Amino acid sequence: MSEAKEVIKEKSMLIQKEMLAKLFRELSTAKESGKKVVYTFVPGNLTELILSFDMLPVYPEINALQSGMRKKSAAYIRDAEKIGFSEDVCTYVKCDIGMMLNGNSGPTGEKLPAPDLLLLSYTGCYTFMKWFENLERLYPGVPVAMLHTPYQEDGKITADQIAYMVKQMKEDVIPKMEKVSGKKFDLPRLSKMMENSAKSEDLLVKILESAKNKPSPIDAYFAGVYYIGPLFTAFRGTQEAVDYYNELYKEVQERIRLGLGPVTPEGELKEERFRLVVEGPPNWTNFREFWKIFYDMGAVIVASSYTKVGGVYDLGFRHNPKEPLESLARYCMGCYTNMNLPQRVQLLEKYVREYKADGFLINSIKSCNSFSAGQLMIMRELEQRCGVPVGFIESDLVDPRYFSYANIKNRLESYFQMLEQRKIILERESQPAQ
Amino acid sequence: MNNTLYTMGIDVGSNFIKLVLMDCSGTPSIIGRHTEKIRKRNPSQVAEEMIQSILSANNLKYEDVAYLASTGEGDLVKRKRGHFYGMTTHAKGANFFFHDAKTVVDMGALYVRAIKVSEGARVQDYKMTGQCASGSGQFVENISRYLGLSIEEVGDISMQSDKPEISSGICAVLAETDVINMVSRGISTPNIIKGIHLSIAGRIIKLLSSLKAESPIILTGGMALNKGMLQAIEEQLQETGKKFIINTSPDAIYAGAIGAALWGGYRHMKLKEKEAATV
Repeated sequence: MSEAKEVIKEKSMLIQKEMLAKLFRELSTAKESGKKVVYTFVPGNLTELILSFDMLPVYPEINALQSGMRKKSAAYIRDAEKIGFSEDVCTYVKCDIGMMLNGNSGPTGEKLPAPDLLLLSYTGCYTFMKWFENLERLYPGVPVAMLHTPYQEDGKITADQIAYMVKQMKEDVIPKMEKVSGKKFDLPRLSKMMENSAKSEDLLVKILESAKNKPSPIDAYFAGVYYIGPLFTAFRGTQEAVDYYNELYKEVQERIRLGLGPVTPEGELKEERFRLVVEGPPNWTNFREFWKIFYDMGAVIVASSYTKVGGVYDLGFRHNPKEPLESLARYCMGCYTNMNLPQRVQLLEKYVREYKADGFLINSIKSCNSFSAGQLMIMRELEQRCGVPVGFIESDLVDPRYFSYANIKNRLESYFQMLEQRKIILERESQPAQ
Repeated sequence: MNNTLYTMGIDVGSNFIKLVLMDCSGTPSIIGRHTEKIRKRNPSQVAEEMIQSILSANNLKYEDVAYLASTGEGDLVKRKRGHFYGMTTHAKGANFFFHDAKTVVDMGALYVRAIKVSEGARVQDYKMTGQCASGSGQFVENISRYLGLSIEEVGDISMQSDKPEISSGICAVLAETDVINMVSRGISTPNIIKGIHLSIAGRIIKLLSSLKAESPIILTGGMALNKGMLQAIEEQLQETGKKFIINTSPDAIYAGAIGAALWGGYRHMKLKEKEAATV
């Protein structure tokens, strides 16, 4: 393989880097500064609520993926397996546990503080519950707040479900946060944050929907998780997030004006040959290598499901300053993995059609049941409904043992070849008969 | 004046490199063929030596060849003029063997790929085995090695089976464990090998069903030379009640290389036409 080129970064990427570095710095000195720390999850996160108590969030799955990108996950997973975790357990969990066993040094090398509160804000993934049971054992005595999130079994969010979640927030989550932080719940402050959330959400949707342009100015999967989405989770509700997304949106608009393709670590994608919708999380241990296969083929991902784990804002949901707790409840229940399978199929079908995708691809994750269950059905449905070539590859989140470059490249090459062939057929069919 | 249009196709696989020299003037024909197992050598160097060797054997110089096309891991072939994807070349190769080919099953070392093709050997659709090695030629080779057989003899031995013992068709590791257990239970080698072939055949039938394959089906790739494999596929098809005509060619292992040489010839002619039009 050729030597990796230096990664090209846009201004927004540099801002993001600095914001994240600042967060990790704050976390590393949290005990000295007296800031309380909440461990929680990306799906159904209650970021605004946490920030309204001046507490700092830590997202274990983000730490795990960062460890994966920094080639540290293999050792962490090995250590978790040594103490009894099975090979089949979610590798985010094992990486996180392994990191804690090794002194809890975060992705930047700075030590992460122990939690003051374990906030299980999403129960749609059963593994999350088991994960927090383990964290509870690792941090005995730390209070646990569990917010039970009803799954959208019937494909809708009901008033009863919202009331049920709000009740849990009022009776369990908020009192625990008050106790841990030593501060009274400040509803006006939360509402104010939600104004910022809604502004960021509007901008995020505009950025993601810019991929409807041809060429797409962004990659909505690799870049989506690399620099478009991450800030959303930890900073949503802040003015900093609004500023960041304003800057990013400006960059995207400029790319559209100039007719430029997406920025990738290999440079700008000069020729958009294929537009794809991707389902499933990416592989993090070989993230750049994985992205490069698509780059080399001229493939851009115009929409993806993984970027909707933190919220499906393009379906219209916004945090609502007038009903802060109710909108947090709606938010938790509305995230992608909490949608039932017919809803997911419908959403992906919409993406294929609206983003004028040439194909649909699934990256099936060995150790993620939340995503993998139903993927073969989703693939068949998309093939039938949209008539586009579908592809299926397999890898893992942060366990490098499950990333087989040759296998993935072989499969993707066949898939891209099919896409190319279909383009030729469609072009021929669209020519007027002689 | 010599009107011969020499083209070469080289297919760099994970185990073998396959090379053909063809004459693409008029009805295409194969002039020379050469296979080399890579073993632990540098594939790029092996490919270069093979090219040189086939040229020398036919008293040709590199300049006499109108087009050298690669397929498979073509990046490794330094002197190629162009590269074609594997599905395109296998489809063309199968069409060279049988002009009425509607489905091609490319059975290689790493995977099996079923390809639906049009009359002009264009790829219409495809399905591929999953990531597990249990559907691959390499898997058969590993099992053969364990049983002390050479890959060339597994076909004949499989055909001696009277009571095949089926192994796991899902996982190569489980299947290998099954085989170890079978040996210790005294199951005969032909019955073990036949069981392996049947489990791979079962996966191929599944691919053909999901592809909605049409007959005739042409088998290509290294595993297509394995008579035991062919028999197992036919038996499995009979069980499912599907009536497919299955064909293969003694040159099946060269299908990709032949396809590359033919597409190379086609591209060469197109370039010539373009040049003439410009002049």
